[in-house]
This record gives sequence, structure tokens and C-alpha cells, in this order.
Amino acid sequence: MRRNVKRAIGVLALSAVVTACGSSTTDSASTEGKSAASGPKEAIKVALIPPSTGALAQFGSDSVKGWKVAVALVNAKGGVAGHQIELVELSTDATADSTLRAAREAVTQKGAKFIGSVMTSPEHGALNLQLESLGALSFNSLGKADDLIGKQCAANAFHVVQTNKMDINALGESLKDLPGQKWAIQAVDYVTGHDAAAVFKAAAKKAGKEVVLEQFAPLNTTDFGSNITKLQSSQADALFAVEYGADGVAFVKQAQQFNLPAKFKTVLGFNMVSEPLFPVLGDVVSGFYNNVGYNVALDNPSNKEFVAAYEKANGSKPYYVPADAYLAAQTLFAGIEKATNGDPIKVRDALKDLSFDSITGKVTVRGADHQVVRPSYVGKVEGTGTSKAFKIVASGDGPAITPPANPECKI
Amino acid sequence: MSIAEVLNGVALGSLLMVLSSGLAMIYGLRGVTNFAHGALYMVGAYVAYSVGTRLSFWVALLVVPVVLAAVGVVLELVFFRRLEHRSHIEVGLVTFGLALVGERIVVLIWGERTLSADPPSALSGSISVLGTNYPTYRLFVIVAALAMASALVLYLSRSERGLHIRAASHDLETASIMGINVDRVSLFVVALGAALAGLAGTLAVPYVSLDPGMGAGILITVLIVVVIGGVGSIGGAMVAGMGLGIAQTVGTTISPSIAVVIPYLALVLVLLLRPTGLAGRRAA
Amino acid sequence: MTASTTSTHDLPAAVEAPAVPASTSRRGWLIGAAVAAATFGLGLTVPFITSDPFIMSLALDAVILALLALSLGFLARHLGLISLGHTAFFGGSAYMVAMTTTHWDWGPMRAAAVAVLAATLLAVLFGALVVRASGMGFLMLTLALGQALYSLTVQTSSRPVTGAFDGLQVSYPADARFLGLTRAEVGDPGLFWPVAWSCLVLAAVALWVVGRSRFGTTLEGIRENEERMRFSGYGTFVPRLIAFVISGAVAAVGGALFALNSRFVSPELLGFATAGDSLIAAIVGGLGTLVGPVVGAALYIYAQSEFNDSGNLHLYTGLALILVLMFLPGGITGGLQRLWRRLPIGARRGGGR
Repeated sequence: MRRNVKRAIGVLALSAVVTACGSSTTDSASTEGKSAASGPKEAIKVALIPPSTGALAQFGSDSVKGWKVAVALVNAKGGVAGHQIELVELSTDATADSTLRAAREAVTQKGAKFIGSVMTSPEHGALNLQLESLGALSFNSLGKADDLIGKQCAANAFHVVQTNKMDINALGESLKDLPGQKWAIQAVDYVTGHDAAAVFKAAAKKAGKEVVLEQFAPLNTTDFGSNITKLQSSQADALFAVEYGADGVAFVKQAQQFNLPAKFKTVLGFNMVSEPLFPVLGDVVSGFYNNVGYNVALDNPSNKEFVAAYEKANGSKPYYVPADAYLAAQTLFAGIEKATNGDPIKVRDALKDLSFDSITGKVTVRGADHQVVRPSYVGKVEGTGTSKAFKIVASGDGPAITPPANPECKI
Repeated sequence: MSIAEVLNGVALGSLLMVLSSGLAMIYGLRGVTNFAHGALYMVGAYVAYSVGTRLSFWVALLVVPVVLAAVGVVLELVFFRRLEHRSHIEVGLVTFGLALVGERIVVLIWGERTLSADPPSALSGSISVLGTNYPTYRLFVIVAALAMASALVLYLSRSERGLHIRAASHDLETASIMGINVDRVSLFVVALGAALAGLAGTLAVPYVSLDPGMGAGILITVLIVVVIGGVGSIGGAMVAGMGLGIAQTVGTTISPSIAVVIPYLALVLVLLLRPTGLAGRRAA
Repeated sequence: MTASTTSTHDLPAAVEAPAVPASTSRRGWLIGAAVAAATFGLGLTVPFITSDPFIMSLALDAVILALLALSLGFLARHLGLISLGHTAFFGGSAYMVAMTTTHWDWGPMRAAAVAVLAATLLAVLFGALVVRASGMGFLMLTLALGQALYSLTVQTSSRPVTGAFDGLQVSYPADARFLGLTRAEVGDPGLFWPVAWSCLVLAAVALWVVGRSRFGTTLEGIRENEERMRFSGYGTFVPRLIAFVISGAVAAVGGALFALNSRFVSPELLGFATAGDSLIAAIVGGLGTLVGPVVGAALYIYAQSEFNDSGNLHLYTGLALILVLMFLPGGITGGLQRLWRRLPIGARRGGGR
């Protein structure tokens, strides 16, 4: 029975602690929250919730850099519709759970009504469900799953980045111009891999090319030996590879050991080669083709301003991750501008079917699913060592590559 | 099935063999599943990456096992010996905590990015094996692992200390009554087990790429290997490691979905048919 | 390896302490009931004390994690078994809620009830495979089986069913009711709190009663000396299996609550990290007492929201685990218990134990 007494004391102490924490933080938060919403000159707060751990942390911090450049530029010009923009940085370990917690903290404790830099598709899937009850808008510049503008779409979520389908469609359009007649497909055994393979096969047929081998490897494969062996003994003279992240690095490095790239006239990657991976992939990727989400060389005033400011702040040219974050910021600012204030509902309504000039030219926020209709590109890696860079060789226009809105999405 | 596919399986099996024999040795002697084994492998790989890019792969191959042996000494003196009289589970959970801390420290030092290194020039390129071109480096991994395994088996079965190790893993108390310095044997075994993990990590650098999840990823496979082989049996672990490596690689060429569940399927099958593992010796 | 090495050397010292006198006196039961009722009542007032939704969501997360930790603590306390596979029942139940509501259009009540039942059946299956093992063997087997379920879930071929790596939304009509709560209310931490809190208190009381019952005595006997129990004519397989299933069911309740509240399930619910985190929470809180894992879960959630800023959470939890195991066996509640016994009042009243 003595245990019971102790247990009771333990529980009492615990609830006392919880209560104490609760009441003390509530006070400060509620005043803060009110001040952010009222008054025309108050700053509008945007919460950034990138992963701070795991293989994606690098992308997370680069995304934050894009937002920071956007906010610095716009604040220097006197803000958006008279409001200064203020960034609130939180972090997550890229799990749906911890992202939701950070989002709640950002909205209820820190008074942010807009959310950016959330990374993975499951995080977005979970966040989209809570946006309405939080009364916040999310600007997704990273999660590419097609479901996010399909059955997981939400009225308060804006999909700024291209979806996988859009990128794949851009690749498909460029296929006819790439050297190689007999193609092999090496893809991750995941929805992206299967989708990409299907679109690729259709495009190959249209371009009069042949697919002689199609194989899939599980996500998180560390040893691609058996896949590479099969590719080597195939009749293919060109390769389409859908392997990304650590898998992509392992695949490229191991293919190099098997001297595989020499066999092919063209190696076309999907999400496989990107600027942050240039150092680790080495010079073997020079000459590879890959989809590119953003064209740094695009000649328009908005892009020039962004590239110059980004280079000044970070010492390097931007690639797609900071650029997409910047575009997310541009989308938000366009909405605030039109709504003339920072009320999330008004901004949401203002963004419906809105077109505006951005770093990727004129883009449109499609009202049916909140996808930003924008182009996607195919690039070729040129140069060696630290001077490697993508040269854009083909581009798919936004309206051409964006599939029609999914009827499962009801906004 | 082509010769290259078999060799791919053997290469993966070799890596698993080196790792699981170290884990099995520590278990045999200390009765503790070393959950930090994946972290040791990861530390070995990252240290080897740094040494390899600054000096050379060959220096790394010599230095990293020594560094990891030193880590093993710390592990034994600070944790295993101090906690000798505590339950095995508690010590196992301490290694679990060590794994979490170790993996995070690696990330703090080397960052989150995926890293990769090329094989040394002497081992780059490919050579012809029975008419098939095969990467020289993978052949080197196989040869190195098999040489290590034979040396270890010979050592354990022929040398005096090997005899002591076997006696101590069989029955610690009796061994100490018979005058074997159990502390010294244990120190040696834990250091050797850690050194083997370091060796596996070094071999892995040009073979698979390095990322923060590599330790936890391989740990589960290695645990399964050790359970299938019969916990504490070094020979069983070696055979099971090689077998699983081949089964998984061959499975991948048939169906990637099946390949992923092969380790678990094998585990459940072995448990149902032969609960003590392939070479299990402790009666149920 | 399934070797039943039931020497005391394989029992965690963390769980050695409470050789509970099995037959609890009438007075003991009464006090137990009073404490439970008081705790329950006190807990219900929490949403009135703090109206902050963020604090409430933390408290709710803690309660849900506490159910998982509680189930681990029960196995450890009564059988000396440490499981790294209870994510299968926690996550499995959460996935069942998501799958039945999404694919079969079930209402939340039916989905939650069936999910808990299904995950409990899964516990019967897993239990039959693993309860013969003990010590390290049990730990590794539960880990392997839990990971097997994870691998099956993220398979591309499972994608139409589980959503694979992308996870699955829990979708049912907004006006469908769960215990009288609409979908939005279930998602509101303050309004959902009474449900979750009741589940936690009920589970804790149930586990306490089981521990004090004749069945509890049998379990103590098995833990202390399996061979002797077997010689004296007791079969040990069935009691072990029953205990495993009870514990699995508690974890399953936690999973169902999680799915209903967050409306989203993703594979990390079944992952190695969740298994490790919940176990660490239970150990740091203390496996030797009923409330230990609950305290640990609360601490863990607090630490997660407070110290995760640089991604170093696992550095801290790992350190906490090592320190507690090395210097504070019995965890925080175990330490408090020892401190209490040293106090004059504690020593006098607790003499017997």
C-alpha cells in the first residue's frame, strides 16, 4: 500500500509540473499571438520547419537560405503590402510527428500563420490535415509526391514545387533529342520509380526508341552489384536511371567501378544528379543528363535579382532547393500583396488562380488543386571538378507538363 | 545465374561475415549483444574515409582496425567490466545507448551528407574472372574477408589463446577456475570484435557509400545473421552471413520485394525449425 | 538462442526490486482504487488549467507514448522481458485505423475497436514465436519481428494498402462520431484529452490489478525461477503468452488513439527509432514501478519538444539511457523510491518491502 501513496505523490508532482509549465507559457503566447494579427504595420510571421537531422538536413538548411534571401530583399523594399516579414525557425527530425508538433508550436506559441521549408511528403500529408484547424497556410517547396495535389490535397496547402509527374513529363518531352536507341531502365522500386518508368516507356515509344531492360531495386539499396551486372550484359546503348539520395550515390559509384557508364551513349537520370551531390559523385557524372527543377541562367529581372542576392549572401549560385523556397516566398508575397493583409484566409482566396512574375517567369497558382504551374527542365552536366554545372538542354512548359487536376482533390 | 551475380552475393556475404563474427565473439564471451556494433562499423567507415582521402586506403586498412580496437578496449574497461555483475540485458541496453550517442557524434564530426570514395588505384578498374569482367575492388573485399575468416578460425582452433577464448565462451566460470585469466581474454575478444567491425567499415568505404543511417541499417541484418547462425557461434555466424548475403543478392535479381524480406523470412523459418540457430549449442 | 537461460543473471536489476507481496489486502485494494480515482479526476482537470493548444498537444502526446511505455514496463516488471517489437502493436493498430477508415469507409468507433483487436491478435502470433525466449534472445527476436512488419509495410507492393513510405491519412466523414466527438474534436488535443487520459488510467489500473492477482503471482514465479515453476507442474508458455498479449493490447490502444488524433500514420511508427525511444522512456522513468514508464514518457516528450533543435535528441536520450543504467538502476521513480525509503517516515512505513 505504501506504493500507492508514493504513486499518488508521483502523479501529483507530475501534474503539478505540467500545470505550472502550461500556465506560465500560455500568458506570454496569447499576447504575442494577438499582437501579430492586429495593426497594419505589424510584421507577418512565417514559420520555417526544415529537418535538422538525417540525410535531408542539408536540403533543409538550403531551403531556409532561399527564404532568407527573399525576406531580406522584400523587407528592404518596405515589406509586402506595408508589412515586414519575419521568419521563425523551428526544426524537426523529418518525421510527421515532430513536424506537426513544431507546426503547432509555431502557430499557437509564436504567432506564425504561414509555414514553409517542410521537407518530406509524409510530413506534408500529415500537416495538410491540420492546417485548417491551425488556421495556417503551408507553402510546399520540397515534397513532390503526386498525392499531395491529389487525395492528400488541402485548401490551405500550396504546392509550389513541381510534382514528380511534372518532372517526368518534362524528361519525356526531351527524350527524342537524346542519343541512344536501345534504352535500359534502372529505377527505385517505389512509386516515383514506377511512374517514371511508365512515362518513359510511353515517351520512348513515341520517339521511336526501344526499351530493352527494365529493373527495379528496393529503396535504401546499398549494393547495386546484381543490377549493374544485368545492365552490363544487356543490349542497351542508353540508360534511364531513377535512383536518388544515398541510393543514387551508391548506384553511380558502383556503376563506375563496373565501368558501366562507358557502355552508354546517354545516361539520363531522374532526381539522381543534383548540384549538392557534385562533389561526392565526382567527375563520372560529367556528361550525364538529369531533370533540373530550376534554371539558374534564366534571363528575367526577378531571377537576376535573386541570383545576385543569393550569391552575395551565400557565396555560391542557387540550385533548385533554395530557388524553390524563394519561389514559395514569392507566391506567398503575391498573395499577401493582392489580399493587402496577412490574414491567412484572405491570402488563400487571393492566391486562387493568381498569375504573377517569378524567378521562373510567369507562373499560375491553379485554383483546383493549388499547384503552381511552372516549367521543369532537362540539364546536362558540364565541366569537371568544382566547375561542374548543369547546362539546360530542354525545357517543358508549365501548362504542357502539368497533368490535369486530380478529381480526388476537392478544395 | 552469371558468375558476376554469384560474386556480388559473395562480396556482400563477406562484409556480413566479418561484422557478424565480431558480434558473435563478443556475445559468446560477455553474453551481451553489442548493439553498438553497427555504430563501430560506421565509425570505422568514416575514420577510414578521412584517413583514406588524406593519406591512402592502405594506411586506413592498417590504422582503422587498430583505432577501433582501442575503442573496444574502452568499451570493455569502462562498460563491460564495470557492469560485469549486472544483467546482460542492462549491459546490452547500455550498448544501445552508446550506439545512439556514437552515431550522432559521427554526424557532428562528418556531417549529414552522403560520402563516397574511390578504390585505391591498384584496385580500380575490373579484371576478367572466367570470361566476365568484374570490379577488382570487389574481388579484393572477398579475398580480404575470406583470408580474415580463415585466419580467425585457425587462430581460435590452434593457438593457446584461441583455446582460452573458446573455453571462456563456453563456460566463463569454469574457465576462470581452471586458471584462465578471463579478464585478459575478454579484453582481447572485445578489442578484436571491434577491430573486425573497423575492418568491415574500411572495406565498405569504396564498396557502398557512407551515410548517417549505415550503422543502424546494417545492425539489424547482422543481428539476424547472428541469431540464425546460433548466438555465440562464430562459425555459425560466418556461414549464416555468407548464406544471407548470397540469398539476398540473388533474390534481388528475381524480385526486389522478396529480397527485402528474405532476412526476416529466414529468421522465422530457422526459429520454427531449429530454435537454437544453425549452430546453436545451448539447449532450449 | 531461444535458450531459456533463466538464471537471475539475465534479469535486469532495474526490475529486481519489487518482489510484490502477491495477495493484496482489502485495504490495499481500497487505497489502490482511491488513488486511481483521484488521479483520474485530477487528470481530467488538465484542459481547464491550461487552454494552450500546444501544451495540451504535448500532454496528449505524452499520454499516448505513455501507453506504449506502460506496456513495455509491464513485461519488464512481471517477466523480466525487454521488448523492442511493441511498435508492431502500437503502429499496427494505428495503421489498422487508417486502413479500415480509408479503404473500407469504416466509422472511427468500429475502426478503433477492430484495430485494437487486430493488433492484439498480432500479439498472439508474435508472442507464440518469441515468449519461449528470454533475456537477449527475446530482445533480438522482438526487434527482428517488429522490423519485419516495418519492411512489409514500406514494400512497394503494399503501397495500395499501407501507402508505403508516404504513409496514410485517416479519412472518415467529418461528422462521424467517436465517443460523441466529431472528427475535428477528436483532433483537438483539449477535447480528446479526457478519452486518452481515461484510457491511460484504465490501462494502468488493469495492469496493476493483473499484477496483484493470482496470475500476477504466477508471473512473478516464472520470472524468479522458470525451472522451478516448470518442475512444480506449472506450464510457463501460456502465462508468458497471456502476459505478452495483455501488454500488446495496451500498446495497441495507444496506437489507435494516436491514429485518431493525428489522422495520419507513417512508417516511422513501426520503426527501430520509435521502438528504441519508447524503451528508453520506460527505462529512464523506471521499469520497477507502475508509473515509471509514464513519467519517462512525459519526460521524453518534454525533451523532444525542448532539445530537438539541433537534431541532437538521440545524443541526449542515448546519454540519459547510459547514465540511468549505470548509475541509477530503477530509473527516476526507482531512485525516488530508494530516497523515500531512506526518509524516516518512508523507512517506518515501508519496512516490509
